[in-house]
Amino acid sequence: MAAKQKSVKTTRLIHLMLTIALVIGLTSYADAAGKVYKLGLSLAITGPTSDAGNPYAKGVEDYFRFVNDTKLLGEDKIECTIRDDQYQTDVTKRNFEDFLDQGIVFYLNYSTGSTLALKKDFDEVEMPVLPASFHAGNIEGSKYIFLPIASYSEQTILLAEYIVKNSNGAKPKVAMFIHPSAFGRGPVSDLEKAVAAGLNIEIVEVVEHGNDLDNTAMLQRLTSKGVQYVLCQTIQSPVATMLKDAARLGMTAKSFGEAGKITFLGAHYTGGNDLIDLAGNAAENFFWTTSYTVTSEPGPGTDAQLELAKRYGRDNKAANSHNYANGIMVAQVATEVIRRAKEKGLEINNKTLYDELNAMNGDKAYQPPTTVGAVTYSPTDRAGVDSLQIYSVQKGQFKKVGEPLTSEYMKKIK
Amino acid sequence: MSYFFQIVISGMVVGSIYALAALGLVLIYKSSRVANFAHGQIIASGAFITYALTVWAAIPIYISFVMSMVITFLLAWSVERIFLRRLIGEPIISVIMVTIGLASIIDGLIYLTPFGTKNFSFPTFLPPEPIAFSGVSISWTQLVGVIITIFLIGGFSWFFKKSTIGISMRAVSDDQFASMSVGISVPGVFGLAWAMAGLSAAAAGGIIGNITGLNFDTLHAFGIVVFPVVILGGLDSILGAVVAGIIMGLIQQFASGYIDGNWGLSGTGEVLPYIILLIILLIKPHGLFGIHEIERV
Repeated sequence: MAAKQKSVKTTRLIHLMLTIALVIGLTSYADAAGKVYKLGLSLAITGPTSDAGNPYAKGVEDYFRFVNDTKLLGEDKIECTIRDDQYQTDVTKRNFEDFLDQGIVFYLNYSTGSTLALKKDFDEVEMPVLPASFHAGNIEGSKYIFLPIASYSEQTILLAEYIVKNSNGAKPKVAMFIHPSAFGRGPVSDLEKAVAAGLNIEIVEVVEHGNDLDNTAMLQRLTSKGVQYVLCQTIQSPVATMLKDAARLGMTAKSFGEAGKITFLGAHYTGGNDLIDLAGNAAENFFWTTSYTVTSEPGPGTDAQLELAKRYGRDNKAANSHNYANGIMVAQVATEVIRRAKEKGLEINNKTLYDELNAMNGDKAYQPPTTVGAVTYSPTDRAGVDSLQIYSVQKGQFKKVGEPLTSEYMKKIK
Repeated sequence: MSYFFQIVISGMVVGSIYALAALGLVLIYKSSRVANFAHGQIIASGAFITYALTVWAAIPIYISFVMSMVITFLLAWSVERIFLRRLIGEPIISVIMVTIGLASIIDGLIYLTPFGTKNFSFPTFLPPEPIAFSGVSISWTQLVGVIITIFLIGGFSWFFKKSTIGISMRAVSDDQFASMSVGISVPGVFGLAWAMAGLSAAAAGGIIGNITGLNFDTLHAFGIVVFPVVILGGLDSILGAVVAGIIMGLIQQFASGYIDGNWGLSGTGEVLPYIILLIILLIKPHGLFGIHEIERV
């Protein structure tokens, strides 16, 4: 009986030792296989603005796949969960909370509305956030939101400065054509501040558009008031309808600032290939600004963008979208801060990544291939790429107008 | 003076397109007393089918426009046959809820196609130069849109007044039990009403898509944009839809041309039609041409 009990004890001991060995073995294997850093992205893959959100999501997804496939972070991997919120803030909030439960270390958000609504949540959990919205209000009263590029306000003011520089000393009459939301209204007060600070333009009118089938009355009204330039801060579809109406009425300037005609200009989400798809020939001579490179002006950055799209089987439309470039860029910034923190031997978490973002300046500025300038952040600067490139539609393609610029008046009104 | 006349022309153009877009809602309400909340999705589907036939199947746009109306006619008829026929006799609210569900299903199906998240535009098939007369201009796209609208609305009006099937549909609208007692197939009438609504929605989608470009959000929004038109005209009146559409179009354009930008006002073209709608409904609760039914107990 005693011999039998001894045998059972020995067997149990062997089992225990084998289990411990197995656990140690698995842990070592897991270390060798690398760590997994969790990120989250909630955006409109379907629903309103999904024409921008869809290629953006593809850009993020493809770049993180590229990071993992090519072992840019060694054996470590990035796992970014991408969820469709259909442009509904309540769904975005739910997604974000779920991402927190999953243990994300970095968050990518999308719309202006949800970024403003979740601002306090981001601060509360101290989560660094890169949204697809460049609304200047996003970073007011929040330490954790970082704009990927210059704000809509800065884009609009830069376009206004460009108007002044090219208007031969006369005071240009400008109207704003904006989306009826915080996204559209954001730059209005900043442009007014720039005018108060000495920017030599007259803002004749601010027009909030609706679902317009015909903008004739509005365009006639603006012409009767002597408006020469219309600055747009909205999405492509209403701009396209307005451009078609202006072309039909013979109001579109054939060259920048042509007397008696209207020159149309717009910020990031008004332009790109989608505008040309919607407006056709009426998009000719539309002036547009963004911090991204575009594939109609080939270079190393756009080559890399097209190569990435080809590698992961994206169609031409997505591959050539500036919102695909936008998605790639935010994924690159997130990857870069992880790489830097890892290089320093720091634990990868929301706090270290936040610190790395704030240290991204001076000789540590980061130059993604798909932007026209370097990304710089600091505790007092939370707009990434400050340079903006102006493009204009020439023969159905966006072509560069001069070199990248930075806004003079944006600095004055800050 | 050309400023004024240009606004009148633009208002009439916009109004007639509103009328065409509203027609489908009226046709369904007229026969079955149901407000179809999937109407915007059907408008968008018609536009996308026209585009797919024109660009992907390389069929001339004139033919693909007609084909898309036929396809949407059949699709809308199928929708009624599969989803709604079994709801005959059920409370109207149940049917309305089904149309809301239908809108979600069509949304989901469209998001599975490139049309859900990408922008397209029809190839140019009309002269790009507008027709101008004494300083007033209208684009060929708008003119053709207005002609198609007049043709379709005229055709539907004739159909309801003169044809046997049209008179049957009006009879069903008036009294379903009495209609059945004289041998009219009420389910058949409902199916036909949906099919005709699909046809008119496809036409509206093709025209709107030519004007705004093909963007799903923009297109399906017109299903809601035209609700005030239908309410103002009287839910069951084709003539009402035409008159109310033109009133709405003119109000929008005149507000935009003469009120916006003055006295610190902006966006009145969007708001004023609703204010006038409320005022008219206070005076005529059934709309301008809606039937005021008197029930004797």
